[in-house]
Amino acid sequence: MKNRWLLLATIPLLLISCTKKEDTSLRTQPIPSELVVGTDAAYAPFESENADKSVEGFDIDIIHAVADRAGFKIKIVNTPWEGLFSQLASGDRDILISAITINSERKKVMDFSEPYFEAVQLIALPVKSKVTKFVELKDLKVGVQTGTTGDEVISDLLGKTNPNIKRFEGTPLALQELVNGGVDAVVADNGVIDNFLANNAKTFKTVADPSFSKEHYGIAVKKGNSELLKKINDALQALKKDGTYQKIHSKYFGKK
Amino acid sequence: MFAWFRTDIIVEYMPLFLRGLWTTLALTAIGIFFGTILGLLLGMGKIAQAEHGPWRWPLRLFIKTPSQIYISFFRGTPLFVQILLIHFALVPLLIHPDSGLLFSGDTALYLKREHGALLSGALALSLNSAAYIAEIFRAGIQSIDRGQTEAARSLGLNYYQTMKHIVIPQAFRRMLPPLGNEAITLLKDSSLVSAIGLAELSYAARTAAGAYARYWEPYLFISLIYLIITMGMSYIVHRLERKYQSA
Repeated sequence: MKNRWLLLATIPLLLISCTKKEDTSLRTQPIPSELVVGTDAAYAPFESENADKSVEGFDIDIIHAVADRAGFKIKIVNTPWEGLFSQLASGDRDILISAITINSERKKVMDFSEPYFEAVQLIALPVKSKVTKFVELKDLKVGVQTGTTGDEVISDLLGKTNPNIKRFEGTPLALQELVNGGVDAVVADNGVIDNFLANNAKTFKTVADPSFSKEHYGIAVKKGNSELLKKINDALQALKKDGTYQKIHSKYFGKK
Repeated sequence: MFAWFRTDIIVEYMPLFLRGLWTTLALTAIGIFFGTILGLLLGMGKIAQAEHGPWRWPLRLFIKTPSQIYISFFRGTPLFVQILLIHFALVPLLIHPDSGLLFSGDTALYLKREHGALLSGALALSLNSAAYIAEIFRAGIQSIDRGQTEAARSLGLNYYQTMKHIVIPQAFRRMLPPLGNEAITLLKDSSLVSAIGLAELSYAARTAAGAYARYWEPYLFISLIYLIITMGMSYIVHRLERKYQSA
């Protein structure tokens, strides 16, 4: 008897909790005129969080310029790299700009804009290291960020499940591990490694291996969202034409 | 129904999953082992006191207070933060090729390269579980009737003998369930050390998820593995309880 009353008493509670849920979902409905941009802001100088929690960097300036040119509003949301692609697929994010290298594997699950940045993988090594080529990393312990191009190239060289690959949530963490002597080398994008070196001078050296192909970063949208993609591409072209792109580029990477 | 479930991802990363499982179990075992030893000392340290005599103040200052501070710190801060603090800050201070306080030069180089993350991870889990186990011991010891201690002391046993033969054996029976819970908690919390690049079970899942941008398969798979282990542990604890209860 008692139990039955308990059950009955919980029903209104359940109902209340249900209605509560509906309320919040109504309030968090994205405003159609504002697109949500996902970025993993632990990748200076492309994107990082400054002291007052706002995201800044090369990518951020680019996407703001693109949005201004294409005439839509954006909201930047810091999203961990490991969940980035799935949030685009699920519609939580409309656009991704996060130093994402365009590759065929990723093209299967998202659409990319025209390239907006050219990058190359670098090998970061202790100052005393004798390594000169990528192939020489075969018997060494190598740190990478999970799921990045660096992760892919080292997986190809050593085998995906090789215990000598140490994967971290962020490239700065992997580089810190190198400084502390936990790994013999780190493979990552040049922009981030150079930035780390600029802030922690002489802690390690870098080697560029000619076998690494040039990569291109692209702005990603959900697969099949060609309308938005066209807007982004047109805006990118306009920015490159009128010198805005160059201005942003030299702000972060100096005159080239 | 399960056509969307890509088992090939699991199969491809199986070696990593198996090694990860082994590392997870090893970490848990190490954490429980050292945590129990250190926890026993800390737990006794926290309730150590002398009513009179010359030992009263030194005991409080050098044993009781440090134990209390240690336990408060490790129970009052997130384990995740402790792991990062130990791996990226404390261990480099102690073990560094150029300026390690404990090990430097080639020894440090070797330790960091071969076992760096495992050392830090095991250290963090041991120190953390020690604080919780200390509280379990403290509660267990305090739950034994004072009369037991008084009787033992009046029979001429000293403090050490009283603890070893009278109090701890009785307290242990009461401590079994919470100790079992702590072991299970530690196993689950060991997943946090994947953040420092230690290849345990959840690291394997993260790697597979990162490579394919697919999340169901790897995480569901390791959830099942964790579940099987924790249920097994629960069962063992349950059996032990029954065994000691009837004694």
